[in-house]
Amino acid sequence: MRDRRHHPLRAVGIVLVILWSIVPIYWAAKSSLQTESAARARPAQYVPLHPTLANFRTLLLGSGNVATGIRHSLLNIVIECAAATAVTVALAALAAYAFARFHFKGHNVLFFTVLATMAFPPYTTLIPLYRIMSAFNLVNTYTGIVLVYVSGFLPLAVWVLHNYFSSIPASIEEAGLIDGASRLQVFWHLVLPLATPGVISIALITFLFGWAQFLFPLVLSTDLSTQPLTVLIAALQGRHIVPSTLMSAAGILAIAVPAAIALLFNRYIVNGLLAGSTK
Amino acid sequence: MRDVVAEPDRVDRSGSAARPQRRRLDVLPYVLVAPVAIFIIGLAIVPALFTIIESFFTVNELDPPTRFSGLSNFVELFHNHAVTNSAANTAFYVVVGVALSTVLGIAMAVLLQRPFRGRGLVIAILILPWALPGVVEGILWSGIFDPNAGLINNLIATLHFGAGNGVLLGQNRLLTVGLIELVQVWQMTPLSTLLIFAALQLIPEELYEAATVDGANGWRRFLSITLPLARPGIAVAMVQALIATLNIFDQPYVLNGAASTGSSVTMETYFVSFQNLNFGQGYALSLVVALVTVALSLLVVRFIYRRVEL
Amino acid sequence: MATRRSRATWLGAAGLAAVTLLAAGCSGGSGKAAATGASTQTSGVTITVALPTDPPPQAALDAFKAATGITVNWSSSDWDSLQTKISAAATANTYFADVTNVDWSRVGQLGKLGWFLPLETYLDGNGLKADMPQLASFTLDGHIVGVPYDASYMVTTVNTDLFAKAGISTMPTTIDEYTNDLKTIKAKGVVANPLNIPFAAAEGLSTYWYETTQAFGGTVLDAKGKPQFTDPSSAGYKAAEWMVNAVKDGLVPPGNINVNDSQGEQTLMAQGQAASTFSDYSGLINSLYNVTDSSTVAGKVQYLETPGVSGTALNLSNPDGMGIPKQAKYPAAAAKFIDWFVSAQTQADFSGLNGQDKVWGSSFIPSRLSVVQQLSQADKLADGERLAKMLKTASPVFPDGAPTWYPTFSNAVYTNLHAAATGSMSVADAIKAIADVANQQSSNS
Repeated sequence: MRDRRHHPLRAVGIVLVILWSIVPIYWAAKSSLQTESAARARPAQYVPLHPTLANFRTLLLGSGNVATGIRHSLLNIVIECAAATAVTVALAALAAYAFARFHFKGHNVLFFTVLATMAFPPYTTLIPLYRIMSAFNLVNTYTGIVLVYVSGFLPLAVWVLHNYFSSIPASIEEAGLIDGASRLQVFWHLVLPLATPGVISIALITFLFGWAQFLFPLVLSTDLSTQPLTVLIAALQGRHIVPSTLMSAAGILAIAVPAAIALLFNRYIVNGLLAGSTK
Repeated sequence: MRDVVAEPDRVDRSGSAARPQRRRLDVLPYVLVAPVAIFIIGLAIVPALFTIIESFFTVNELDPPTRFSGLSNFVELFHNHAVTNSAANTAFYVVVGVALSTVLGIAMAVLLQRPFRGRGLVIAILILPWALPGVVEGILWSGIFDPNAGLINNLIATLHFGAGNGVLLGQNRLLTVGLIELVQVWQMTPLSTLLIFAALQLIPEELYEAATVDGANGWRRFLSITLPLARPGIAVAMVQALIATLNIFDQPYVLNGAASTGSSVTMETYFVSFQNLNFGQGYALSLVVALVTVALSLLVVRFIYRRVEL
Repeated sequence: MATRRSRATWLGAAGLAAVTLLAAGCSGGSGKAAATGASTQTSGVTITVALPTDPPPQAALDAFKAATGITVNWSSSDWDSLQTKISAAATANTYFADVTNVDWSRVGQLGKLGWFLPLETYLDGNGLKADMPQLASFTLDGHIVGVPYDASYMVTTVNTDLFAKAGISTMPTTIDEYTNDLKTIKAKGVVANPLNIPFAAAEGLSTYWYETTQAFGGTVLDAKGKPQFTDPSSAGYKAAEWMVNAVKDGLVPPGNINVNDSQGEQTLMAQGQAASTFSDYSGLINSLYNVTDSSTVAGKVQYLETPGVSGTALNLSNPDGMGIPKQAKYPAAAAKFIDWFVSAQTQADFSGLNGQDKVWGSSFIPSRLSVVQQLSQADKLADGERLAKMLKTASPVFPDGAPTWYPTFSNAVYTNLHAAATGSMSVADAIKAIADVANQQSSNS
């Protein structure tokens, strides 16, 4: 009865929430399908009257600098995010398992240190990391960028996976150990399968974090050989006159992958984020 | 978390025959933890120490060699108009960003508190802004703010509030920082919403029922039950927003470029370091931001966070 | 015990790793040996050329490859980002290109820091000097830091059609006449905002102010780097006032606070929305305004001798140069590229003397005087006589070379002038802020 009384207000609220989240994306998608003159037309077109794929064709299929740049940087960002995710999840899983199941000298100190680095403001380490990478000649290499990403994403991954591993009853592993399996076999065959949702969650979240990076790759990747899509698209704004419709199309390209991931796998992502927040 | 125990938890009952097994166990956790430890020490702790130590040195490509200079970096930064100006902008971003994202987060979390059909879909849509790169969100919103083809100006024209070709960014400082922060709030609010939502899920239904029986209306129930019991989630949400707003870079950089109108402290750190090549000042500025972050986070935890046993 | 020993081993290893990183970091940056991996190989290599322009016609690059065996990988970006990239790569000692932009304004900094290889060892310096009036701006302490590939200088462009529509028959020769003419154009409704000034906080705004300062008869910094514009009666001060007042009086479109110089020329002037750009780029009539594909004002734009205080003033020399960063992989091949790019034959091709198909759209005016004269004689240079005349007298804004801290100074210039244009700062405060930075930087170095 109480719920029904709240319904109309809540329905309005829900609609507002949806509009709030969708409208900016819709607007960019709409302009990406218009020509510049249609976008500036008055009376304003809120739905494209003559949708066209010309902008996307220019960006993806063209032979000019812009198009080759976009294709190359799209490849770069996929490689960098995938590599960073794989390394982060692998290392974090091993460490989180150790933290969850073993008591060893330095356990608390190390665990606390790893988590404490999460509290560092993101760009505190920007300059020193740049100088360290340049000392090892790793600036503008996939290796350098992936190393920096991994160092940033590890703490949260360790924390989330630690929560998942801790919630798996130890009795399952003990049964395996009694049967003669080694710790690592138990980990691989018994624990990991049970923790798969958690692993998938943190893998998705890490991938999204990697895709969203801007200032770090801006500094660490000096040209197209490693520049991710996000940096290239921001640079497009600074170049010659780029019509707002073309910029919108570039923006849509850049959000296509993360938006798809967020919509398709939202259960995993939400669970992962919530697991990371419970004390 | 249990106390550190020097011995492994497996009790050794079988005497010397168990020795090899204990040795194997002793090494394994260290092997598992070592990669992460190396990463964190090498690429997080050491750089942080760098920042702290070298902010007291002159590290300037145009002015070698690196030498100790005490507080001079900090003093010069304090006298740098661009930096003090960006500090004012950043203060605005922090206050408005944390306040707005927290209020909206609470509102949205309450909306989603009770299950309803389609709630999963709403949550999926709701997290979209969080999942997208801040830089690209700046580009999307610059399409909304565009003087000619933007949504806002189009609405103004349609509703006959004006000609609909006004310059929104860059002209009026308050409007510029307001719009920039609006984009960041759009990005941060989903996480705040989820964090508070998680806290709300732990509140037992019986409390609300009891309050209704006692005659409390919706607003009363919100103030007396929801809000206080959600404080842990609200505190975490606020700290996240605090860190994000203090370190804002992507949105002002994309929406308003190098202009001082909306410049943030992180932008100035970037320019001082990579344009002026004065890394010492860059370190000093990073250190100040880090200290302010810690201080403000502690304040939030002290006053907002409350351990809730449900 | 086993536990303590293995723990000690791991902690020791971690500590060692940390110490190594710390030590490496401390010695990183400028301490490293220069040009690791530099090769004298030329044939069969691929070099990267990074310039803030579009590439020349592919046929030209193919011909270069056929003649030398060197493949060119062209990378273009906007000027401001490229400058940051150059600094970042140099301080990180990483390779990013074999040939890149050397801007006249950074010759002081780049030369002092040794970030570019001296070109007199690779090219015929004396031969170049004779044919390139602007090579002097790229020389520091006898070393050639870069070679200008165009003779760009700032020049006033006017849309004669729009001036005529407002009833102006004689072109202005002083800045007062110029300003009044623009007001007339606005008053008569020919164009709502006739004057094009790119007020976005970017390098183009600084350049515009330097040109305007010269028009008002003054300089920006003296040889020691001290500001020359602090007095309200000084040229720089008056120039800043003039520019900002133009926004306040509505001569400049209000949206221009977000427009940078390339957008300003490429949209406003080329689409006939501006009647004049006081500080425009020489050669643009050929490469942009008269090109019917990208402009609606073909045939309507002309150069105007700079309206100064009491008559014609000098133009600001603003050439673009190219050089070899010290981390280049193939310096010898890079030198061959530069030699070819600025050769008389190539410059003649790029400027259209040998057919439209060889034209390079980003070439303003060739840096070789001989080619400019050829162009003028062949009548292929729009308004060629005027251009050649102004080229001979174009002068650099920093007669003694730009200071090493130029990027910091320019940043102060464009951020403060931008702030004054948006009204958040008075001109007096903006000038003071810029002067403060100049004073502080010059006393440091």
